[in-house]
Amino acid sequence: MTREIFIFIACLLLLLPVVFYAGDISTSHQLVICIPFILMLGIPHGAIDNVLYLRGKEIKNSRFIAVYLVFVFLNVALWLFVPNIAYLLFLFLSAYHFGQSQFSHYFSEQLTGYKILYLLWGVAILSALVYFNITEIQQIISQESDFAVLAKSHHLKTVLAVFLVASSATLVLLAVLSFNKRISVSALLMEYIVFALVLISFYLMPLIIGFTLYFIILHSLKVLREEYKFLIGESEVKSVFTFVKLVAPFTLFSFAGIAFLFALIYFDLLNLSYGYCLLIIISSITLPHVFVMNKFYNYFISAKYRD
Amino acid sequence: MNLLEVLVIPKDDAVAFTFFTGYMAMLAASIFFFFERGRVDDKWKLSMLISGLITFIAAFHYYYMRDYYLATGENPTSLRYIDWTLTVPLMCVEFYLLTKAAGAKMGLLWKLIIASVWMLVAGYIGEAFNPGGADAAGHSVLWGVLSTLGYIYILYTAWFGEVAKLAEASDNPVVKRGVRTLAWFVLVGWAIYPIGYMCMDGGWLNTAFGWGSSNVDLFYNIADAINKIGFGLVVYNIAISSSKSVKTA
Repeated sequence: MTREIFIFIACLLLLLPVVFYAGDISTSHQLVICIPFILMLGIPHGAIDNVLYLRGKEIKNSRFIAVYLVFVFLNVALWLFVPNIAYLLFLFLSAYHFGQSQFSHYFSEQLTGYKILYLLWGVAILSALVYFNITEIQQIISQESDFAVLAKSHHLKTVLAVFLVASSATLVLLAVLSFNKRISVSALLMEYIVFALVLISFYLMPLIIGFTLYFIILHSLKVLREEYKFLIGESEVKSVFTFVKLVAPFTLFSFAGIAFLFALIYFDLLNLSYGYCLLIIISSITLPHVFVMNKFYNYFISAKYRD
Repeated sequence: MNLLEVLVIPKDDAVAFTFFTGYMAMLAASIFFFFERGRVDDKWKLSMLISGLITFIAAFHYYYMRDYYLATGENPTSLRYIDWTLTVPLMCVEFYLLTKAAGAKMGLLWKLIIASVWMLVAGYIGEAFNPGGADAAGHSVLWGVLSTLGYIYILYTAWFGEVAKLAEASDNPVVKRGVRTLAWFVLVGWAIYPIGYMCMDGGWLNTAFGWGSSNVDLFYNIADAINKIGFGLVVYNIAISSSKSVKTA
């Protein structure tokens, strides 16, 4: 069991009864509860992409940032012209990225079978999130006119089919990997438990709270810890404090960017809803982050840095 | 005591069924542990005695609980918590005894006992003394959360804390493996208790899944059988594998 899994189980046991007792929590209240955690842990886990990517490379930081921004703007353009494709691309890349971080402590090489597992695991949990919270999602879509274009991406039967296929394939693939001694039996059992707990939390909790709990603990916290261990091992940072100092500039830059865009909306200079704008921002910073993290896991995470 | 009184178990009453099988399984396990105690090395005898005591105390309570349930059809909450107040701290004693050779101190034993008693007392208040009745979930949620803190502490100690570190430092691979198995029991087996708690009359899990409150006893009975007998068997396995007298016999 990783420490993140322990924290996830502890938080789930403590929060589930409280959230259930609180009854219906509106989307805006959920955002008020979750955004501080996303800002404090979610944004920072992608705030040192430049440091991770540039290690050992002869590329200047400014050039990396320029390429990074080109990706961001291309994604924004995709959202403006073909939002459904941009949305599905976002989900697809996120699914792979979530799966990759979930299993990063087991594998020191990147075989095709593992990559399929990453994608299937991520697709399974994201489709479960949509399927179990379809009423809430449809409510958001009906309330915010911007989201209306995404309505056809949430066809219930399709989402259910994707969930069933992806989750069954994930469970089978994990069993096969265990059978072939790629992962231990206890690791298999642990991953089954975590998978079930993630699905239960998505089923029992409201959309944003359920997702935030997964995203913050099982994903962001884990990636942050891996980044920290890697940079400590490479003598890039010396303590948690120097790590925070490394993460801080781009985290604060992201906060400023979000605040700037929200200000544009507030003063009617940008004709978007806050929620839709946030979705575009998250998707735009996710796109290059996924590629950087893929490289990070491919080349930088060697056995000595893993648990 | 009327020995000739015939107790009728309804065919479809899984709770009554598990009360009877639980009772017999615990008693059988106790006899097994007490007899096998003679086959292991001296250093494991106390652990084996504790294993036997855990299942024996549980068997004794199950004897009363099955009758109580059949006579009243109600959950024997008080009897159950009396049983747990004795047996769960004893399970924590097992952790201490297993890691004692690796340097476990009395402080660890007390911390585990306090955490387990905290978990049980808070659980009992939440389950047995709800002033607002089944419709007032606030009381059970509050005490459930407080009780869960005790469980989380024990879970942490078994997986990452003192117990895990001591087992890792131990030069006995059987102890290492055994403590890890017991940690799995705490994670999976003990987790059935909070699930049972959430299924009490008016419990939120019942509302979420549309279950009835009879599930409480079903969950508790299954959990007790798995955890108490399973815990004892893991200790037995460690003791028998590490005993020189058995190896040379």
